[in-house]
Order: sequence, then C-alpha cells, then structure tokens
Amino acid sequence: MGSREAILSVFECFRDELDDHNDRRERLIKHGRDVTNLSKKVIFLLHRIMVDDAPDDPAGGGEGTGDRARALKAASRGRDKLREVRAMFANVRHELVGDRFWRYQRQISPGLQEYIEALSFAHYLETGKLISYKEVQISLSDDKGIPYFPLPLEDYLLGLSDLTGELMRYAISAISRRGGRTKAQDVCIFVRNCRAGRYFEGWTPYFKDLRKKQNVTSQSLEKIEDAAYAIVVRSSEYDLSPDMLDDIVARAISFHGVSGNGRGRGRDYDEDGPDD
Amino acid sequence: MDARDLEYVNELLEQDNELREKVREQVHDLDKKARTMSGLLNKIHSTPVDQVPALLEQVKPVLESCKDTSAALASLIPLAQFWRWKDMWTNSLRNAVFAATMVGYLETGTLLTLPRVRDVLGIDLEWSDRYALPAEDYLHGVISLVNELSRLAVNAVTMGNFEEPIKISAFVKDLFAGFSMLNLKNDTLRRRYDSLKYDIKRIEEVVYDVSLRKLAPSKSQAF
Repeated sequence: MGSREAILSVFECFRDELDDHNDRRERLIKHGRDVTNLSKKVIFLLHRIMVDDAPDDPAGGGEGTGDRARALKAASRGRDKLREVRAMFANVRHELVGDRFWRYQRQISPGLQEYIEALSFAHYLETGKLISYKEVQISLSDDKGIPYFPLPLEDYLLGLSDLTGELMRYAISAISRRGGRTKAQDVCIFVRNCRAGRYFEGWTPYFKDLRKKQNVTSQSLEKIEDAAYAIVVRSSEYDLSPDMLDDIVARAISFHGVSGNGRGRGRDYDEDGPDD
Repeated sequence: MDARDLEYVNELLEQDNELREKVREQVHDLDKKARTMSGLLNKIHSTPVDQVPALLEQVKPVLESCKDTSAALASLIPLAQFWRWKDMWTNSLRNAVFAATMVGYLETGTLLTLPRVRDVLGIDLEWSDRYALPAEDYLHGVISLVNELSRLAVNAVTMGNFEEPIKISAFVKDLFAGFSMLNLKNDTLRRRYDSLKYDIKRIEEVVYDVSLRKLAPSKSQAF
C-alpha cells in the first residue's frame, strides 16, 4: 500500500470501526449507570421495608412471624423491581453478542455488581442464605434459560462482598428493635462465614478488588460485633427490662457512629456507606 | 449457598487459573520473539543500505515463528472469549505488528496493511472470537513504526544515505493524514497520535538540512 489515497481509504475503515466501538462503549456506560441507580433503589427499598414501623400484617401472629412476613414482603417487592433491572439487561443483550461481552465487561461490571448486591440482599431476606453463582446466572437468562451473557466470577464475588455492608446496616438498624438482637446475631454469624473460610479468603489473590472489599467486610463485621458485645455485657450486669435494654443499645450504637447517619430508625438512605 | 455451590465456584476459578497459566506461557513466548525482532531491527540504524536485506533475513525466521504462537493461542482461548484474555498479550502483539510493518517498509517502502500483517503473523480470520488482530493494536504498531522511522531518518543521513529521509518523510506524512481521519477519544492511542507530530517535525528538519545543502538528489518532492 503506497499511495496516499490507498492509505486514506484504509484509515476510513478504521475510523468506522473505532467510531462503532466508541459509540457502543458510551451506550453501555449510560446503560450501566441506569442499572446501578435502579439497583441502589432496590436496596434502599429493602432497608425501608425492614425498618418500617407500621403495624405488622394481621396475618402475622407473634413477633417472629411478623418479622418473617416483613422480610418476605420486602423480598417480593424487591424482586418485582429487580425484574425491571433484568429487563434492562435483556435490552442490551444484542450489544453483547459473542465475545463482545468481554470487550465491554469493564463498562458493564459496576452495574452488574450493584444488581448482584441487590439480588443477594433480597435472597438473604427471603432464605437467610447466600445466593449461589448458578442462581444469579439463571436470573440473568431468558425464558428459555439462555444467559444474556456469561456471568463473570469476579463480578459475582464482588457483588456478594458488597452485600456484607448492607447486612451490617440491616443488623444495626434492626438491633434496637424488638427481636432485633437475635437478628443481629444471625447476621453476625452469616457475615463471619462469608468472610472467613477457605473460600472467600482463599479467592482474594485472584481478584484485585476482592482484597479491598474483604477489608470493608471486616470493618462491617467489627461494627456488628461491637454492638453485639455491648448487649451481652450490659444485659449480664443488670437485670433489665427489654425496653431499657433497647435504650442502652441505641446509645451504644450511636457511640460506634453507625446510626449517626439516621440509619438506626430513619428512612433517609440517600448516601452509600462503606462500599465505594 | 451450600458447600456444593462453593465448590462449583472453586472449580470455575481453578479452570480459569489453569488456562491463565497456559496462556501466559504462550504470551511469554510471543513476547520473547517480539523482543528478539525489535533487537535485530534496532541494528537498522547502523546498517548500510546494501546490508539491509541480510539483516531482514535474520528477522524473517522469527517473524515466521510467530505463526506457531498465534496458532497455539487460538487453540487455547475458548470460543467467544477473545476479549476476556486479550489484555495478556496486547503489548507483545503490538510489538510484533511493529516488527512486521518495519520489515514491510524496509522491503517495499510501503505500509503493510492489516490483512497482510495478519497473514505474516499467521492469524486466521476464522479465529476471530478467539485470536484476532484488532484495528487498535494494528494502529499502535504503526505508530511505533513512525517513531522508529524518525530515528532512521536521522541515522540514515549519518550513514551517508541522503535519500532515505525524503522517502520516509513522504511515507510518514501519508500515514499522518490517515491517522488524522480517526475520531480518537482520550486513550493511549490518542496520546501516541499526538506525539506523531514531533516525529514528523524531526523528519522534516532532517529533510530541510539535506535539501539545503543539496545532499539529496534534486528530483525530491517539495516539502
């Protein structure tokens, strides 16, 4: 290829190719932002329902069942909203055919992780378990079970790491409520299991962001542990009524600066806490 | 999530790691070849014109052997996962493209097109979702070629070859006109494109010096 005309015509093709790539990239970044926003809203919705002070459903009999009913209600409303997020993923499916998904993975993964965080939170409220890789992949598949795109292991694990931060908030805001102390204990054990073990800890070397998130998880865990500690110490010293205990706990939490954001009882979940 | 699910994730992770090791081995190989070629081609700055073909004969077997690496990588990468693993060899591939286009220029004085480079490196078009040569990487290789030619313009004069800078000047200006057509965003390609003007300036200065002193044949193009 010698003449200038030949070179120009070749570069014209490159221009089209690069334009196509850049445009698609921009579209996916915008799309990812929308997915992130909607997923965050789902998380706030779940928190909101769980700290809702409205009377329990008449169907729920005692204290435990009322809480359980609330969790199921939260999960089902969360799932409705998550369906919208899934529809958004289905909409960009055609942009991600073949190995294109991997080309734009960096643009997709923030939204995808936020979605996994919301989905796993709803899943936890419903079942008390960590959502599995396969379950997440199935949620991102069409009616015939064909995945919209392959679910990267990295995004799955990082999404789950963010879940622990949400659970910490959930536990702390629940702790000053009736029956919240057992709930906090459950969450404490659950988060501890997530963090430790040969799995998450063993996986950290393979993903550069997982180490950072594991540290955040440790901090969240400490906050819950401190709150649980305060309860045990105070309640063993005095023979207190549950009401007074609630007061003490509320004070202990504000000491650790968690409910200072109004997260204890309030409903303003506007800011995002420990996760980036 | 029960133990079975965790085990499944563990298995996926292990498969990925195994593959990563194998790919790394091949990339290491490709990198070594690209370095060898860059090293050999560096001699061009001190090689008289009549000895250039001999030098290129040394580079060609290495270039030829890149075909093996390409085939090996294409067989390793799972279907539709080219972009997942590509970061591992991007730099080595760009260096290989540079070597191929440099040899092309030294032999014919023209630009080796992307499909030709693909042929030289043995990258089969049918592997497009496993191992391919994206336009971006080709362009990076071409920019490296321009960087190197601006050096050659200077060193050719030192060796008494006064025609070379004029040939290079025309060639690089054509390329620059090509690059100017692209809508580049703020990335490395854009930064490297911006640096091309310094190469052009350097080459023009050489051409100016040579022409002013009437060292080059007067039939040379106006500049």
